[in-house]
Amino acid sequence: MSSNRETTETGTADAQPTDMQFGEARSASTDSDGPAAEGVVESTQEARMGSGADSRFNSKLRNAFGSSPFILTKFDKFMNWVRGSSMFMLQFGIACCSIEMMHTYAVKHDLDRFGAGVPRASPRQADVIIVPGTIVSKFAPRMKRVYDQMPEPKFVVSMGSCTVSGGPFQQGYNVIKGAEEVIPCDIHVPGCPPRPEALIYGVAKLQERIAEGESAPVTVKPYELEQFGDLQRDELVEHLAADIDEDTLVMRYNWADST
Amino acid sequence: MSLEEPTGERTETHLTGVTEAGLDYDAIADLLGDRVVGRETHLNAEAFVVRPDEVQEALFALRDEAGFDHCSCVTAQEYEDRFESIYHLKRYDDPTQEVSVVVPTPRDAPASQTAEPVYRTADWHEREAYDLVGVEYEGHPDLRRILLPETWQGHPLGLDYDQDRPQIVTLESHANPLAEDQADDTGEADTMFLNIGPHHPATHGVLHVETVLDGEQVADVRSDIGYLHRCEEQMAQSGKYRHEIMPYPDRWDYVSAGLLNEWAYARTAEDLAGLEVPEYAQVIRTMGAEFSRIAAHMLAVATFALDVYGEFTATFMYGFRDREVVMDILEDLTGQRLMFNYFRLGGVAWDLPEPRAEFFEKIRDFLDELPGKLDEYHDLITSNEIFQLRCVDTGVIDAETAKDYGCTGPVARASGVDYDLRRDDPYGYYDELDWDVAVEPDGDNYARVLTRLREVEQSARIIEQCVDLLEDWPEEEREIQSNVPRTLRPDEDAEIYRAVEGAKGELGIYIRSDGTDKPARFKIRSPCFSNLQALPEMAEGEYIADLIASLASIDIVLGEVDR
Amino acid sequence: MRAGGPPLQQGTTTANATGGATTTANATGAANATNGSAAGVGPTAPETISGWLGLGANPDPGVQFLIGIVVASLIATVFLGLAAFAGIWGKRKITAAFTDRIAVNRVGPFGLLIIVADAVRLLSKELIVPEDVDRPAYDIAPMLVPFSALLGFAVIPMGSGLQLADPETGFVFVFAAASIASLGLLTAGYASNNKYSFLGGLRAVAQNLAYEIPLVVTAASVVLFAGTLRMSEIVAAQAEPLVTVAGFAIPAWFAFVNPFAFVLFMTANLAEVGRNPFDVPEAPGELVAGYMTEYSSVYFVLLYLGEFLHIFLGGAIVATLFLGGPAGPGPAALGLVWFMLKVLAVYLFTQWMRSAIPRVRIDQLIEIGWKGMLVLSFANLVLTAVIVGLIV
Ligand code: SF4
Repeated sequence: MSSNRETTETGTADAQPTDMQFGEARSASTDSDGPAAEGVVESTQEARMGSGADSRFNSKLRNAFGSSPFILTKFDKFMNWVRGSSMFMLQFGIACCSIEMMHTYAVKHDLDRFGAGVPRASPRQADVIIVPGTIVSKFAPRMKRVYDQMPEPKFVVSMGSCTVSGGPFQQGYNVIKGAEEVIPCDIHVPGCPPRPEALIYGVAKLQERIAEGESAPVTVKPYELEQFGDLQRDELVEHLAADIDEDTLVMRYNWADST
Repeated sequence: MSLEEPTGERTETHLTGVTEAGLDYDAIADLLGDRVVGRETHLNAEAFVVRPDEVQEALFALRDEAGFDHCSCVTAQEYEDRFESIYHLKRYDDPTQEVSVVVPTPRDAPASQTAEPVYRTADWHEREAYDLVGVEYEGHPDLRRILLPETWQGHPLGLDYDQDRPQIVTLESHANPLAEDQADDTGEADTMFLNIGPHHPATHGVLHVETVLDGEQVADVRSDIGYLHRCEEQMAQSGKYRHEIMPYPDRWDYVSAGLLNEWAYARTAEDLAGLEVPEYAQVIRTMGAEFSRIAAHMLAVATFALDVYGEFTATFMYGFRDREVVMDILEDLTGQRLMFNYFRLGGVAWDLPEPRAEFFEKIRDFLDELPGKLDEYHDLITSNEIFQLRCVDTGVIDAETAKDYGCTGPVARASGVDYDLRRDDPYGYYDELDWDVAVEPDGDNYARVLTRLREVEQSARIIEQCVDLLEDWPEEEREIQSNVPRTLRPDEDAEIYRAVEGAKGELGIYIRSDGTDKPARFKIRSPCFSNLQALPEMAEGEYIADLIASLASIDIVLGEVDR
Repeated sequence: MRAGGPPLQQGTTTANATGGATTTANATGAANATNGSAAGVGPTAPETISGWLGLGANPDPGVQFLIGIVVASLIATVFLGLAAFAGIWGKRKITAAFTDRIAVNRVGPFGLLIIVADAVRLLSKELIVPEDVDRPAYDIAPMLVPFSALLGFAVIPMGSGLQLADPETGFVFVFAAASIASLGLLTAGYASNNKYSFLGGLRAVAQNLAYEIPLVVTAASVVLFAGTLRMSEIVAAQAEPLVTVAGFAIPAWFAFVNPFAFVLFMTANLAEVGRNPFDVPEAPGELVAGYMTEYSSVYFVLLYLGEFLHIFLGGAIVATLFLGGPAGPGPAALGLVWFMLKVLAVYLFTQWMRSAIPRVRIDQLIEIGWKGMLVLSFANLVLTAVIVGLIV
């Protein structure tokens, strides 16, 4: 057993989701039993990467062997090359940026040259989700769900200033201030909208990073999908208690914290 | 044309208040009699103040006796002492004839009668007013939130809304709305409920269509919108007139239709502040706007093909290939591919790019190639037999229903409603130019696609004439912007509602100024919002594939539906 | 063209049948195979191999079985490889050519390494089995689809002596095997516990029912011509020159003899493999991804490959029944090459349709199937019967 793994299991009390990216559990909503704050950060981060080095890039064999035999290193390298050379994108459009995203797929810019131009409509078959546009309160839970439905290893390209910070709509009462408040992003492509060339650069950069086994850490405290019954009882929760079932999944926005 | 006749006759026989010279507001006041408790003058039309419990009577009278068959928009707003709903009425035959109905309601019990029985389109408009401002409508069939989640607290465009309070949004599965009616002995309905969207390849963004299927047929459709409600009105209300609002219209209808939207704001604000626009700038605007229209229609046709043909087929790619050319030209003109921000109040940001000859050359090349490309589309799409099999006579909406829902733009014109603001309520340089309005009588999916393709032809004609004009424009008269004061402060309590013909139809803006340099109320009337509302009329009883095709043929842009 | 032995015994067919397929491997047959007669009815590949090994034409069953397995894996590998090639790289390149693009060109020469990358990546992804799916149906479905197609290849004479088995009822077998796929699609749709999949699965079945009958009936007209159900003999029957123009013989491929049947068959075949205008079971844009919506990783690969294998099987049937099987100019040893080219041509045709033709609606699809294709195919059958009656 790898020491790496041991520490995760014993080190933290509530490290249950360590294994979930390769397991069959898919609903990330099950793992957030603590109220907001620290516990939540941990669960998303771990659901995503495990602890320590980003385990999306490591084969399970390596975990099992502990150290890194030459052959496994080569194998990991090969796998990284594979993941970086070819990716299915999720056919996912939100707002203005998706128009430029479609242009990137289409004639002239042709993202498929990089092996990244097959949009799949079903999240089950996609590797990369490009988040092209403004995320608003009503959509964020759905987007989180779509992200959860994608199989690991999965990557996120956030496209446009809206997904960086809320962009031109940052001050809006209904606008999530960046995609990272909901799902972890690997690459940000700023611009409003980014030109197709910029998006291609972003995707190429992502491929490069995957091929090198790098990844971006999750830095922002994300909003989680949690069961309504698990929320801390405050005025708002009490007020809504009559309308919402205990086990309904909800997302709670603390706007004051995110600006 | 036969579809139109009933109203045609009715409107022509006895219309109160309609005279040769325009509207006789006094006659309309007489018609409404003592239902009118006051009169206001808005910059675009006279407004009659009506008691909250007599709304329907007043509107029925206006619709049936005075021929105001187009409820363009419903604006709600909150004052220090009252709430107010404004119904902006027009006539499809002549949209310059407008009248507004103002319904004030007290702050402590903001409730007025619903207008839904008079105009079907008021349904969603009133739901939006309820959602964002908090006015309640008595007798409304389904007064729920429309843009914000059901569980939202407060009404964000109200005066005392606290933006920082936390909110909780649910992720619930939706239930079959027909389940109860249809339950058999075992308690199970024999229909299937299907969520299409908000993430689905055919919804063109983040629309959610709650569909009930009976086998492959559609038994019930409800659109659930608001997944892209980005507070456009709030953004506009917090920007200064002069420069800070113009970038936002680009993002309403974002499929390159930016210049058309900018024009909506430009026209409204210029009329509000009494600004002139030099003729030269008008020609440039007209040309740019028509390029935007071409790009938008190309996208509409391309994505329609996407939904009817399957993923990423030739037609789709051709659409994008041709859009690239248009976007290149627009980029030369404005400096951006998509979000142009090119119009300024009183003109445009800068002159045509130098060297001009090269720019004109580029445009002419495009125009020369366009007929050939359009032939290609007709080969691939409209004259394809399978395509006809799929689209002719499916998703039909007739002229009367379309009007009732406030449909405008290609959707209305494909149903035989001959209504185009560029011609009927001229602005810019359109009335000096020679072009036609494309109208198709059938009202099916096929007609809607055909209308768009024909409109592209007309836009090309307009552009050609603009280029001719611009080429010969004497150098010393190339004035791109009139004199506009650094800070605009329109008169206090001036109110205006103005519309232009956007890519999807009538794009209207209502502004009320309060004497400061920011609007006190900025309301957007989006054509897609009204058009989408008519989806059930088109799709119910049809097959699920036709529902998808109809949805595509309405050509909605969620940015504009949700704002 | 007709090198090697004369095309074998029309008359002895029945006699052979009693002894089972393997007994046909007599000395002539072995000689035939080494001569590489593409046009004649040769021995099947297992027989050839056992001949090579000096085991004689009829070794004991265990050895037969082993050799059968070896050949079967060979054929399966060839076609799986072809499916990977065409499904991952070819499809993208072809679609790109139709739509003015380039498509993959960064990974390896002409982007060919994308095949490796895509395959390994898809296989290494997390396998998601959603809650509430109906297991084991959910797991069986993705296997049914490609395997049914592979089963069909068993009786196809691919030229160069490559044919796994040549039973007398080969014709019936291949259609029977191919239509197992619809069971797989239904299972996939039903077991996924997803409404889109479910709709897709139901559509697949409705479609297969409606098009299987015209497909088989049209193909039956070929049987009328050839007078046999054995695949190799159907091929052999097409080897005669139809007409000779200026010393250039046009072979009696059934596509030339009866173009009407050919067109009918190609159309029905499009529906059978679910390509535009008949791709309603998958209907991207309408049903997300139809029956495969919920499948990821390995299962998705199996379904995806299965789809392409079925296109190839369709192509193989078209080639065998209508295009003279492995026949072509050059030495008969090139038979396999010609055969593959024909299969790929049919594949290209399906991709072309996919890029250019809208899809019909489900009710129209059913209507075309039952009211159009079925009637036409029977008309064709009667017509063929009359012609055959007159000529023979
Ligand atoms: S970044 Fe700009 S272009 Fe992209 S979605 Fe946001 S507003 Fe639209």
